[in-house]
Amino acid sequence: MNDVLVTALFLLLAPLAGGVLAGADRVVTARMQGRVGPPLGQPFYDVGKLLQKDARQVNPVAEPLLLGHLAFMALSGALVVGGADLLFTVFVFALAALCLVLAAGSVSSPFSHAGAERELIVLLATEPFFILMLAAVCKATGASTYGGVLASPVAVAAALPGVLLAFLFVATIKLRKSPFDVSASHHPHQELVNGLTSDLSGRLIAWVHLAHWYETALLAVFVTLFFNWSVPLGLAAFLAAYALEVLVDNSTSRAKWQLVLRSSWAVTLVFTGGNLLALFLLAR
Amino acid sequence: MSDLVVLLIAFPLAVGALLLVVRDAAARNAVVVAACAVVAVATVAAALSFPNAPAFFGLPGAVPLGALDSAILTAEAGLALFVVVVGLRHRRPLGPAMALAQLGIAAWLELTGRLNEPDPGRLFWFDRLTLVLVLIVGLVGPAICVHALGYMRDYQRSYPRTRGRRTSFFGLLFIFLGAMFGLVTSNDLPLLHVFWEATTLCSFLLIGYTRTEETIGYAFRALEMNLLGGLGFSVAILLLAGQPGGLDLARLTSGPAGSAVLPAVALLALAGLAKSAQMPFSSWLLGAMHAPSPTSALLHSSTMVKAGVFLLLRLAPAMAGSAVGSLVAFVGLLTFLAVSFAAVTERNTKTVLAYSTIASLGLVTGCAGVGVPETVWVGVLIVIFHAVAKSLLFLVVGTLENRLYTKDMEQFDGLLSRMRRLSVLALTGIAGMFIAPFGLVIAKWAAIKAFLDVPGWQGAAFLLVMAFGSSLTIFYWGKLLLKVLSTRAVAAEERTLEARVSRFEWAAETALAAAVVAVAAGVGLISEHVVTPYASAAFHAPPRTMLAIPPLTIGLLLLAVLALPVLALWASRRTDYDLTDFYASGRTASAGHRIGGALGTTRQVTLRNYYLEGIVDGRLVFRAGTLVCGLLLAVLVGQGLVSLA
Amino acid sequence: MSFFARSPWILHYDGSSCNGCDIEVLACLTPLYDVERFGVINTGNPKHADILLVTGSVNERNVEILGNLYRQMPDPKVVVAVGACACSGGIFARAYNVQGGIDQVLPVDVYVPGCAARPESIIDGVVQAIAVLERKREAAA
Repeated sequence: MNDVLVTALFLLLAPLAGGVLAGADRVVTARMQGRVGPPLGQPFYDVGKLLQKDARQVNPVAEPLLLGHLAFMALSGALVVGGADLLFTVFVFALAALCLVLAAGSVSSPFSHAGAERELIVLLATEPFFILMLAAVCKATGASTYGGVLASPVAVAAALPGVLLAFLFVATIKLRKSPFDVSASHHPHQELVNGLTSDLSGRLIAWVHLAHWYETALLAVFVTLFFNWSVPLGLAAFLAAYALEVLVDNSTSRAKWQLVLRSSWAVTLVFTGGNLLALFLLAR
Repeated sequence: MSDLVVLLIAFPLAVGALLLVVRDAAARNAVVVAACAVVAVATVAAALSFPNAPAFFGLPGAVPLGALDSAILTAEAGLALFVVVVGLRHRRPLGPAMALAQLGIAAWLELTGRLNEPDPGRLFWFDRLTLVLVLIVGLVGPAICVHALGYMRDYQRSYPRTRGRRTSFFGLLFIFLGAMFGLVTSNDLPLLHVFWEATTLCSFLLIGYTRTEETIGYAFRALEMNLLGGLGFSVAILLLAGQPGGLDLARLTSGPAGSAVLPAVALLALAGLAKSAQMPFSSWLLGAMHAPSPTSALLHSSTMVKAGVFLLLRLAPAMAGSAVGSLVAFVGLLTFLAVSFAAVTERNTKTVLAYSTIASLGLVTGCAGVGVPETVWVGVLIVIFHAVAKSLLFLVVGTLENRLYTKDMEQFDGLLSRMRRLSVLALTGIAGMFIAPFGLVIAKWAAIKAFLDVPGWQGAAFLLVMAFGSSLTIFYWGKLLLKVLSTRAVAAEERTLEARVSRFEWAAETALAAAVVAVAAGVGLISEHVVTPYASAAFHAPPRTMLAIPPLTIGLLLLAVLALPVLALWASRRTDYDLTDFYASGRTASAGHRIGGALGTTRQVTLRNYYLEGIVDGRLVFRAGTLVCGLLLAVLVGQGLVSLA
Repeated sequence: MSFFARSPWILHYDGSSCNGCDIEVLACLTPLYDVERFGVINTGNPKHADILLVTGSVNERNVEILGNLYRQMPDPKVVVAVGACACSGGIFARAYNVQGGIDQVLPVDVYVPGCAARPESIIDGVVQAIAVLERKREAAA
């Protein structure tokens, strides 16, 4: 029963929290640039407007795939907090990302297609990390669910410092922050014309935003896995990490996709792989 | 039971022999369709009469044992003679040498009387794994044969020199089916070996079907690699001949192998690795992709390669916990990783499917090598899903090839707009392979969960392989999906491409698509009544987890399989969209996927996938994997040879 | 409740111009004017935009582009002509290839005068455009 309640709360509150964080992101970014910036609720106004606008459909499959993206993204978060097997959720998470790739790529327009291909690269760059991260958390605690990890006496962050470091790196890619925003960008006048969302309009963009808020919330939940002795501490750590991402976003220019892939694999292999190896060797 | 099994083996062999002499196309169509119906019905009858417990039986009626032995020896001699003749004619002495060595071993054992008399009541073994394989061979196989009736007609137009060889083609398909039924039901190792080598020969002849210099080279590569495995099999029989009950597969694999039989188990595993195209033997399967698509579907995706993993899964309890098991697991998982890397750099669709086949077989091999009930559970389920989904994909790619005259996936742009039905079928196959149950989600999930319990550095290594391998899998399937799902404004003449696909092809592909959906829907029942009991019986202990898949999950999985094809079907009825309305920097887009260029010209839009050039060198990874796995196998075989000495 | 007033996304297109107005449009985004305070985003993509902000005049070559960009904007949408050239053709009006102000080819809702138009007047034009946007939404609803 408790699981159902937590799942429902997540489904309701996650987009709220994700939206507020996106608003705070824009305010902080503006302040860093010496501007005042939009109100905190700006992302909600944007989505509200997008829902009121007409949607020009460029092909018949994009919108259903975007709804799939939103549904799978919400589902993967709900599965984690609802007590499903952690490792299972990582595949649902990947399916969600794949839906977005297919929605953009099915359009056959140059900008959408480039965005879709690059998002596929992003998926390739980050997926090994998420699989290994959850495997390492399960191995370290011996639990296989979110509740089990929280109840575990093992302090995950202490057992998995390498994985936590790698998480910081990979989160930059997943949050589509510069220098790793290769598949889409919120910065104006960039060469991809927003890549993934180039040919979406009206409510179709709103689905992407909502899904991204769920995704942000899921990343926050992932961080609390590391600070399993105190969820508030985990959320605070996530906020601190997010602030760092905003700073990085504002102070770097976009990297090539090759660098994204290479660096992400290297970080995953060295930090996550090394940490995992230590875990297995010390486990006996 | 016994009658049905003998019928399943003998009937396709007889039909095959008949087809070798039927030259009239209409008569051949009739014979093939009728024979396929008989095989399918007999298969279902055999499955229904399965007594829910492993059954051992011999030939119906009283057959003198000596007659059986000499029949086996005669068959071995016939096969070896054939290899010698073709090998010498093409000046490839390696094959004949290995065939003669196998014949020598068989003859020596027979003539010196060292071969223990097989128990006449235990020639055949029919348990749940046999049931799975029989159903695959007996239901997927006929569908592919029917498809070939349409496919080969078009194929002859593309390759006029093969005209007239269709007689032997269909004959060989049926002979192969008969041999395959024998292979999966045999319990006596020498008997199994005969069928094993028969499938090798059928594969050789079918790969070399076009008889160009290139395909003959690939055919010999397949022959030599598989004969090497077969030689390992022969030596294993030699090693086991002295052991009481050693040649009885069921007894051999009833538990962890003792040090006396472990070298023989290693050599049998070698045969399994060669047949399932694991590294360093992977290159034969890639070469085999030059054969007509039904051959690729029948031999190199759904059935023959399954013989390899079938043997490995059978050996799993014997290998469990031993160095042999670890080596096999490493070979399988390294193959999985290396070919996944190679697949992301490849644009020939059939080759991508081949890599993905080797990768799936690698996962099964890894699961067999780790050798716990959970991994064997995963392995058998992958075998089932892979057989139906991959054969469907090969057939669809074959049909596409005959319509578009290319296997290059970059030419499949706008497939959903150009060929709606084929797109829906392809999406069903891809969903079955990769999105739903046993391609991506549950198989890898269950494998990762099982690997968490592997102690020491091996566990970490396995997990790293799984993490990177499955991400690469997402990448190359994602690229293919992008092509199949892509839409564009097409010219009118492009819409008529689908009209000329023959009804044989539609029938076979639709049947297999239905099978994909049925298997996904029935996964809970299959797991509960077939795979879990098998894994429990093989290890005398039930799998700890994953025993029952909750109905909700099954519903979700079924939804996931159906979502994409249904979406594509539904989309074709929508009209509220404009395919030319994409953003082209303000330029005007028009039908045929063209946009305005400078000075009044229009330009064709071409969209290309990423192949990770400069990041991943597919050939290099493939060679490295081949080298490493080759060294691992050298260790594996070394053990066997040392004990022989 | 309408969100258009709080989230006007702009597509800026430059026809035949001296780029003076374009610099002023970009000046609106700088810390001094910071139009993001009002939720304005400079999108660069017609499919995301609510307001088409055109500087410069229409000529024989860009008329197709301008028409396509306008067509690809989802409803409701408004057009703002910024500066003398966009309003009337300006000093380019009699050039051989110039058709005139953008109202020759598109239904302009708001005219912003000036050569170059000042950021204050551009912002004022956008505010008026939002009111038009709101009326169009109500008319459609």
